[in-house]
Amino acid sequence: MKSCRHSSSLDGASVGMADADTIFALSSGHGRCGVAVVRVSGPASPTALSCMAGFRRGLMPPPRTAVLRSITDPHSNEVLDRGLVLWFPGPHSFSGEDSVEFHIHGGPAVITSVLQALGSVPGVRPAEAGEFTRRAFQAGKLDLTEVEGLGDLIHAETEAQRRQALRQMSGDLGRLYQAWSHRMKRCLAHVEAFIDFSEDELIDDGILTEVDRTVAQLQAEMEQHLKDERRGERLRTGVQVVIAGATNAGKSSLLNTLCQRPAAIVSPIPGTTRDVVDTALDIGGFPVLLSDTAGLRDSSDLVEREGIRRAVERLEQADLTLMVVDCSHIPADVQPAASFLREHLHKLMPSDQCLLVLNKTDLIADSQREKLAVGLQSVPGLPPFCLISCQTHQGLTDFLTALHSRVKTLCGNPLSGSPTLTQARHRTHLQRSVAALAQYQRYRDADLALAAEGVRLALTCLGRITGRVGAEEILDIIFKDFCIGK
Amino acid sequence: MYSSHMLRKKVPRLLQVFKRTSHCDRQQYDVIVVGGGHAGTEAAAAAARVGARTLLVTQKIQTIGALSCNPSLGGIGKGHLVKEVDALDGVCGRAGDWAGIHFSILNRRKGPAVWGPRAQLDRQLYREFIQSDLLSTPRLTVWEGSVEELMVEEPNPEKPGRHQVTGIRLANMETPISARSVVLTTGTFLSGSLFVGQTSSPGGRIGDAPSSAGLSHTIRERLGLRTGRLRTGTPPRVVKNSVDVSLAKLHPADLNPTPFSFINTQTRCKPEEQLPCYLTFTTPAVERVVRENLHLNCHIQQDTKGPRYCPSIESRVLRFPGRQHQVWLEPEGLTSDLLYPQGLSTTMPPDVQLRLLREIPALHKAEIHTPGTTIARRRFTVFSCLNALNQTNKCVFFFCLVVFSGYGVQYDFVCPTQLSPALQVKSTQGLFLAGQINGTTGYEEAAAQGLVAGLNAARSALAMPTVMLSRTESYIGVLIDDLVSRGVTEPYRMFTSRAEFRASLRPDNADLRLTLKGFEELGCVSSERYKEAVRVRDTLQDAMAALQSLSALPHIWKQKLPNIEISENKSGELTCMNLLLYNDVTIEMLASVFPESLSPYMEFSQRLKIEAVYRPHCDLQKREMARIQREETMLLPEDLDYFSLPVSLSQEVREILDRVRPTTLGAATRLEGMTPAATVNLLNYVRFSNRKVSKIHQKETDPKKAGEEEDLHVRNASLRQ
Repeated sequence: MKSCRHSSSLDGASVGMADADTIFALSSGHGRCGVAVVRVSGPASPTALSCMAGFRRGLMPPPRTAVLRSITDPHSNEVLDRGLVLWFPGPHSFSGEDSVEFHIHGGPAVITSVLQALGSVPGVRPAEAGEFTRRAFQAGKLDLTEVEGLGDLIHAETEAQRRQALRQMSGDLGRLYQAWSHRMKRCLAHVEAFIDFSEDELIDDGILTEVDRTVAQLQAEMEQHLKDERRGERLRTGVQVVIAGATNAGKSSLLNTLCQRPAAIVSPIPGTTRDVVDTALDIGGFPVLLSDTAGLRDSSDLVEREGIRRAVERLEQADLTLMVVDCSHIPADVQPAASFLREHLHKLMPSDQCLLVLNKTDLIADSQREKLAVGLQSVPGLPPFCLISCQTHQGLTDFLTALHSRVKTLCGNPLSGSPTLTQARHRTHLQRSVAALAQYQRYRDADLALAAEGVRLALTCLGRITGRVGAEEILDIIFKDFCIGK
Repeated sequence: MYSSHMLRKKVPRLLQVFKRTSHCDRQQYDVIVVGGGHAGTEAAAAAARVGARTLLVTQKIQTIGALSCNPSLGGIGKGHLVKEVDALDGVCGRAGDWAGIHFSILNRRKGPAVWGPRAQLDRQLYREFIQSDLLSTPRLTVWEGSVEELMVEEPNPEKPGRHQVTGIRLANMETPISARSVVLTTGTFLSGSLFVGQTSSPGGRIGDAPSSAGLSHTIRERLGLRTGRLRTGTPPRVVKNSVDVSLAKLHPADLNPTPFSFINTQTRCKPEEQLPCYLTFTTPAVERVVRENLHLNCHIQQDTKGPRYCPSIESRVLRFPGRQHQVWLEPEGLTSDLLYPQGLSTTMPPDVQLRLLREIPALHKAEIHTPGTTIARRRFTVFSCLNALNQTNKCVFFFCLVVFSGYGVQYDFVCPTQLSPALQVKSTQGLFLAGQINGTTGYEEAAAQGLVAGLNAARSALAMPTVMLSRTESYIGVLIDDLVSRGVTEPYRMFTSRAEFRASLRPDNADLRLTLKGFEELGCVSSERYKEAVRVRDTLQDAMAALQSLSALPHIWKQKLPNIEISENKSGELTCMNLLLYNDVTIEMLASVFPESLSPYMEFSQRLKIEAVYRPHCDLQKREMARIQREETMLLPEDLDYFSLPVSLSQEVREILDRVRPTTLGAATRLEGMTPAATVNLLNYVRFSNRKVSKIHQKETDPKKAGEEEDLHVRNASLRQ
């Protein structure tokens, strides 16, 4: 039987995480969906299938055939869901590798538990942005038109993941991970210094005792964190839509119009909104977190300046920006209007995901509105735009349709705005990191090179959350902390 | 055996050197190597091994193989390089075994992956061995001369590059000597200046003439290569009799010297003949002398980049004040009356150097060795000269390597990002660089590059494709990849922490990693050495299979090996491989349980233990290594115009790519500033353009087959979910 050649098993001491590991990801979108699809690809896929869908090793289901199974946690054997599983032996699969699909119920709790269970299978880890597609491409499974769009797709995925990471890393959780990473870096630098220099240099044996202590502390803290069912702060869910623009453009009015209640204070005084006002919304069935921000302008007011800083921070993390412009400020002719808008955008908006909202159409003549609506359409280099009035609700329907379609696209990408997925990723990386630290303890006295390997691995795993750490960075710490003279 | 072959080797008299090189038999070579240091000697030897008619040009034949700085070879990370150069049939490992007078394995207690084989060397024996080895190398001619000019022509239009090297012209010679490849290994001689106190003079090493300005001119002006400036230094040499070693800590050599070379089973120096090293420390007074005299030191005041890990005593004191610093006193040779104070590299004026030395208790009466010079105090000069002349066997040493007090050197290096992983200058056909000219420091780093540059210079001259070593298979690969893809900002030295696959790239398995490839793919390994490596590989494989198949139940093991705490909760039998994972279990113990099966393998008992312990960790690294290797096989054309490439790349990424011009996709992905999307777009382009080329080829030969491939492609596409 074909699957017999897979000898990978659960008992391997695999704390390592090579790039050619088995990967998994939620490949259906989030939001309102009945069925979620989780894809696994790589050499350990059969292991994942056998230990989570109850197939005995060597007895796989028929290839490419849906089978109804109970899906269980490989360690506790707790039933997580009942769903369809499919087995695609390579090379006849999307990625060209052995692959497995789990079709499960679409609720966030089920998805989270299945993702976390997968992450605990040895040799299996969450996919990086674009990794599935890259593997498919490398196996020659994409046709040329798809290949051409691949770079853009990966760019979009990386960006979505980067924004998602930014959101999470800006909170307490982020600070916690960064602090761990920092301490681990120092541990590694000190072990490496001891390996590379202690024979010739004055490096106190005491530094290793300190590393022992820090490693033990890190292990304890990370394990405690993983056990903590509260999981720290609650993650904001949904597509992050941020309303931005100059002061008094009508941003808060737009928020109130969208959520159909006066969530934010509206006044004719510029600089009314000073903090970020968050509202959770459902737009066409998709979860959206709408944020109203302080108007962007140079201000000498301390409180307002802080509000603007927060606004800019939120803009960087946004999946979609609604850029509000007071259209009574726009020049009457089309060309000057276009340059005005371009300049305006250039000043305020770095992101490519943007919807331009030209507000206050009630303040301009109908003919002027028509002129802008037709004229700006043919101007290159402008994001899509809508002309509305929050006062009279003129153009609101068109705006909602445009917003809905953008949100839908964003939700279709399983990587954007899905905190459950990020949470599962973090969890897996943290688990691997803790396991790798145990390798340090195991080899500490017998083989310092292998012990250091454990800290290296731990840092690599944590680095997938906090950012990669290169050899040069470690050497920098070594030379800062020790006088190396030989 | 091989060892006896080495030990029988007679060192020719220096006279023979002159005889061999007094006439020049031809004006045309395949490869010319300029410079006879650690890079040059390995380059020349490797080129000749590959089969190229090779000429080595050096200023002074007697200084070939000279150890300009510390009298030692190997160490942590550096020992790995020596083992790898040896595995590729290089010279320095065997020379170290011949000249070593104090062998030790550093990091013995820290795990075999980071063991650092190291030896103190007898300077004279080392030089003699290298010279004799080169002179007995077929196809290699050695010539004394100073290179005046690099001959450069219009490039071959069929290959990338803006220039082509055609040979060299020597000073005092009309006709140039032509060659298809030239390897430059000029060390610190490229616009080198020497510094002592407030004086400076042109030169790359004390006692040698400065190299011609013509060469630097060609490199910078004619070839347009970017250069930078670095500095280094060396300590004064101390007269052994003037040192009170009773005030220093004795540091003996290993009881059983371990040879560097895989073909040696013993070293020339007998265990009991080894000389010790001594360890001593600086005092607060040393710091005071340095601080009081900083104004007398122009080397340290300039901001040229010096190394962070081999700093002068001045830099150490300034950067880490109020501390004791280690000073190692190392023997310079069996018959030498000098000691080398490792850690006291300094560019202070000579009289300050002496005051500084004497603030160290063991050196309170120290004399600096300064033969025939005008800069030190006259009294000491005369003393040291007499000392040298008193011993007749010192005369050669005296004449060929004049040692002064400590001094500094500043020199130009060529920014190594302008090189390919074959160490060829990307813009110049046939020009290869190796050693300090590429911004590295250390004998071993130089030797490793020399070997790769010489090997490729020969291959290129003989119309064979150039080759590279990957960072997944060797420290040499790590070294070269770091150099060519990241460049240097300070002299580059090897550390084990630079190797991401440290558990797999061990000193013990360098032969398995490189000797086989060196013979089968690179062509720089003799068939004799290859056969031995094949035997080793096969024996190790058999032994591992035997260890895997021999097993017993836990309670049986407990009976046989009562001192080992074998956990009994594991069900089933335990193999010998399982047992070897216990710290205290050795192959010898297992052989006492299974004498017939294991006795044939006792020759490799240590290697087998290491293999068994490391195998699970190496297996984990294999997939990542395979990925990197795959990316390294995807070549980026050297003449790619990144600014007009019809793929979606940001301007920033285009600039990075254009500046560094990575040779492979693997190197491109490691560049700072490359995004995953940019990598994929680049990959697309390369894949697609390669496919177009191969399709054209296929259509020419077999149109039907090309059509079938098309079908397959469509089928694959429709299989997607």
